Amino acid sequence: MLIYRGLSRISRISKKTSFGRRWLPSHPLLSGASHSAAAAAADSSVKVLGCREAYSWSLPALHGIRHQIHHQSSSVIEDTDSQEQLDPFSLVADELSILAKRLRSMVVAEVPKLASAAEYFFKMGVEGKRFRPTVLLLMATALNVRVPEPLHDGVEDALATELRTRQQCIAEITEMIHVASLLHDDVLDDADTRRGIGSLNFVMGNKLAVLAGDFLLSRACVALASLKNTEVVTLLATVVEHLVTGETMQMTTSSDQRCSMDYYMQKTYYKTASLISNSCKAIALLAGQTAEVAILAFDYGKNLGLAYQLIDDVLDFTGTSASLGKGSLSDIRHVIYLSLLFIASEIL
Amino acid sequence: MLIYRGLSRISRISKKTSFGRRWLPSHPLLSGASHSAAAAAADSSVKDTDSQEQLDPFSLVADELSILAKRLRSMVVAEVPKLASAAEYFFKMGVEGKRFRPTVLLLMATALNVRVPEPLHDGVEDALATELRTRQQCIAEITEMIHVASLLHDDVLDDADTRRGIGSLNFVMGNKLAVLAGDFLLSRACVALASLKNTEVVTLLATVVEHLVTGETMQMTTSSDQRCSMDYYMQKTYYKTASLISNSCKAIALLAGQTAEVAILAFDYGKNLGLAYQLIDDVLDFTGTSASLGKGSLSDIRHGIITAPILFAMEEFPQLRTVVEQGFEDSSNVDIALEYLGKSRGIQKTRELAVKHANLAAAAIDSLPENNDEDVTKSRRALLDLTHRVITRNK
Repeated sequence: MLIYRGLSRISRISKKTSFGRRWLPSHPLLSGASHSAAAAAADSSVKVLGCREAYSWSLPALHGIRHQIHHQSSSVIEDTDSQEQLDPFSLVADELSILAKRLRSMVVAEVPKLASAAEYFFKMGVEGKRFRPTVLLLMATALNVRVPEPLHDGVEDALATELRTRQQCIAEITEMIHVASLLHDDVLDDADTRRGIGSLNFVMGNKLAVLAGDFLLSRACVALASLKNTEVVTLLATVVEHLVTGETMQMTTSSDQRCSMDYYMQKTYYKTASLISNSCKAIALLAGQTAEVAILAFDYGKNLGLAYQLIDDVLDFTGTSASLGKGSLSDIRHVIYLSLLFIASEIL
Repeated sequence: MLIYRGLSRISRISKKTSFGRRWLPSHPLLSGASHSAAAAAADSSVKDTDSQEQLDPFSLVADELSILAKRLRSMVVAEVPKLASAAEYFFKMGVEGKRFRPTVLLLMATALNVRVPEPLHDGVEDALATELRTRQQCIAEITEMIHVASLLHDDVLDDADTRRGIGSLNFVMGNKLAVLAGDFLLSRACVALASLKNTEVVTLLATVVEHLVTGETMQMTTSSDQRCSMDYYMQKTYYKTASLISNSCKAIALLAGQTAEVAILAFDYGKNLGLAYQLIDDVLDFTGTSASLGKGSLSDIRHGIITAPILFAMEEFPQLRTVVEQGFEDSSNVDIALEYLGKSRGIQKTRELAVKHANLAAAAIDSLPENNDEDVTKSRRALLDLTHRVITRNK
């Protein structure tokens, strides 16, 4: 499997490199070169991308990529300057700070104990990898909603700003649902730690952890309602149902089910991929995209989530071994980035 | 107090009577007479037993409630069998509870002039009316799902063994499944809410969940000043008990396309009804089915939950506060507190406060826009009847 070969290469490559560009099968977006196997798909995908080039690539952040496409040569590989621009997390770092601030204000509660409990995992330093909001913000931009420039005037920018805010809201809601499920899961599993600190149930007791989870869910619902889009509300409410179903599937398997790959993939979809797939779809819907595009966004999120979990499963076995060196954040980031690009190349 | 004299009459009246009409202070909608003294009104209504059956609020909506119950059971079906059993645990026949909230909501829907559609009529008007009724029934179903979800989580939090006369879900299937089932019901409620395509309604009911959580947390984490504060207690009671019914009533009004003014009246009715209900609940925890103290389950005080009767008693006997601060793990403190309570007017004052809220609820119904439709009038009477029942019930 390509991923697997890639993985074994990771350990031999310096950590300073932006992995995605070194040894992945060529991808038009990255190197512009054409090779055999992926070539057919790559060629046709260039055409698909081509029709969007006119407006998509005007994004300041993607100027570097357009530069690469027009200079399809191996010089690309030596060109490390623009590689920093491809780090997905740094592309949205500023926006993520804004979101983090807003999230902290959204989970403020009247009762002090509840406030401490609710904001426990939104405090600086324990927000986690913020993988989901990163994906969602990138998706929003990828579906052609510009991060508004402060200098431009006019209605167009006001609308764009409003849309962006709504999509950021999806990212915030997704984080609230995610954290709510973590809080409840830790209660269910009697977990002691989470994100490097004590779990909430460990620090403040099960009761407060259950309540804080409920509180976050209700805040998520209120925020969802404010978007005034009932399809989006349905999508994300369904996610909560899926999270619960997935957790229950995990708890209550018969021995046949436990040995079934189909059951496992279904459970994995519910537990891990549903949140990100449905939020991606919600981003697309808010952007006024067609049902077709919305499904593509959904498919991206779903397959990314599944890939993530599968690698997670691998890491759970190989993590303590020196060959993969699990533990460092940047390793995980690079693995994710690898998976992301691989899946993207499969889909496009 | 009139009510108090009325209460002592209850025990002497045969249970077959519909309480609402016998001895309450006269209400224009009920007796049609305008008297100042309760006795005169009571005399005329005592003879009129025939029409009393029609006023039983629960029987007015009994058929609709069955439809709702069936639909609710289908709404909580889940793929995973264990989750399905857990989710439907409290929706099975026989353990649906008193179904007080759906009753109120269905009556409110009719009272706001939405006819239960007759099957024989044709026409667009009835189709629209049917659709509206279905949406309002959906509010009642959502309300029940939110209510049961909160019960499931509360029982986990309180380590409760029983609920509605059977084992609690956490006792029977474990905490994990109970927490998950609660989450599942909440998510189903959200999906159902979304289907109504009315974001104000979604906001109202999502806020209810937030209030339920806040109220529960307020109860868990009080400082000793807060515990002895009547304001704090009433705020907590609003969040824990009244918010759900008040906001659902408001949602019913909004779906019916009523004005903001009417929506607020509906809200006020629900809020005051809920508060009255809880205050009497507090009293019954002390008095049980007997008029005297100490025959109730005393579960509130044993769990360290300070309710209105004790709060009122503390106003008269500041020394009681010391006992309260010591806590009630020691059962001799419970006895001491009961003694103070008996000497004080705590029980009476709580009942008076309940009556005050019941009357506010009745006033809200009276302020609704006039409507001579027979069904509307019956429903409004039934809603008034409920305001009497909540303060006269003894279990």
